[in-house]
Amino acid sequence: MDNIEEKISALYDGELSEQEIDEVLIMVEKDSNLREKISKYGLLTSAVKHENNNIQSIVAKRKKPNFNFWLSNSITAAAAVMVTFFSLNQFDLNRMGEDISAKNQINTAINSKEAKDIARRAEDNLVDHVMQIINNSQNDSLPSYNIDLRNVGYTRMDPNSSIYNKGNKNFTLYIEKKNLGIKKLRNWQHKDKMIYVVPLQDGRVLTLYGNIDQESALEIAKSIKN
Amino acid sequence: MKKDSTNEDSFLIQKAQAGNEGAFNFLMNKYYPRVYASLYSFTKSKEDSEDLTQQTFIKVWQQIKSFRGDSAFFTWVYRIAINLAKNHFVSSSYKKDKSNLSTSDFDIDIPSHANPEQDLMHDEALNNIKQYIDRLPETLKTAFTLRESDGKSYEEIALITDTPIGTVRSRIFRARENILTYISEDL
Repeated sequence: MDNIEEKISALYDGELSEQEIDEVLIMVEKDSNLREKISKYGLLTSAVKHENNNIQSIVAKRKKPNFNFWLSNSITAAAAVMVTFFSLNQFDLNRMGEDISAKNQINTAINSKEAKDIARRAEDNLVDHVMQIINNSQNDSLPSYNIDLRNVGYTRMDPNSSIYNKGNKNFTLYIEKKNLGIKKLRNWQHKDKMIYVVPLQDGRVLTLYGNIDQESALEIAKSIKN
Repeated sequence: MKKDSTNEDSFLIQKAQAGNEGAFNFLMNKYYPRVYASLYSFTKSKEDSEDLTQQTFIKVWQQIKSFRGDSAFFTWVYRIAINLAKNHFVSSSYKKDKSNLSTSDFDIDIPSHANPEQDLMHDEALNNIKQYIDRLPETLKTAFTLRESDGKSYEEIALITDTPIGTVRSRIFRARENILTYISEDL
């Protein structure tokens, strides 16, 4: 039985020879336990993919850094370094007029240790912030801000509360002076709630945590900016 | 259809396109949990996700001949699932679609995950997969992670770990079996 199950595992990965596939398919067709086995392997893949997209994985990954999770974010930060680097060398590039040189500069900047370090530090701050928001939400004492959102339809039970409601939407609001190195809205999912971090024009950062969609989060951020 | 990293299922797809129900069943069982999980994150309803997943695979079976292999198979299936889920929110058309699509029209045995044990197993796996992977012996853990998280082929894993391909195949199989055992023990 192990042999057929090992072949199923290999076929699941697309690693079985064409000749062996027919043999496996015939056996699978006859045995519902083998069909269930394929689904269970699928369940493991589903769980691994889910884990890679879940905010909970940040905790574990911070103990043992894994930069795959943050790859897209790191590239954003590395690109910021790249722009700086590129600007500093603009004069030389214009004078030389060689695209190949610019390309090399960009590649060097992106791959430099400095770019990677900055990317890592920027994301560390952001992760710290998100983790802090999640932990705060589990405490009884939440900060309160004098922010009135009635112009966009959100009210508070208590004027000193930082929890806002509108129909089935509810969220906790935080506004802080922090440099998280973000230029636009970033969002994460934690269990059934969303976390939105939005940079405001005055340098503060707005964070919304709760049952709310991205469009509403942007509407709220805009109302605060104005 | 070319056999490359985006289409690890190319042999099965070709067979399913030629009408081989066994090949289609294999693909369906393989992707059912991922489609279900994607739809659940969209609908937040187990019942709707179950219905929509079944409808997705009926559509996949109807349309599989049109799959050309330009994208990964799951990407194509996922697109069908999400389009169905979007229609789901327009309730009238959802009811209409639902009445038009019936599993009884097909010989394909659509799997159902609507039983408590499968649900429990799914939740357990989703919540604790990292912990289970960490419990694996190092060699199994490396092979499993390179395959499932990084999407490496057996040949690539063999090169990275300096191990024969047959050993890689065996390690990945044993890793899967061990994790399933851990989950069963914890249920």
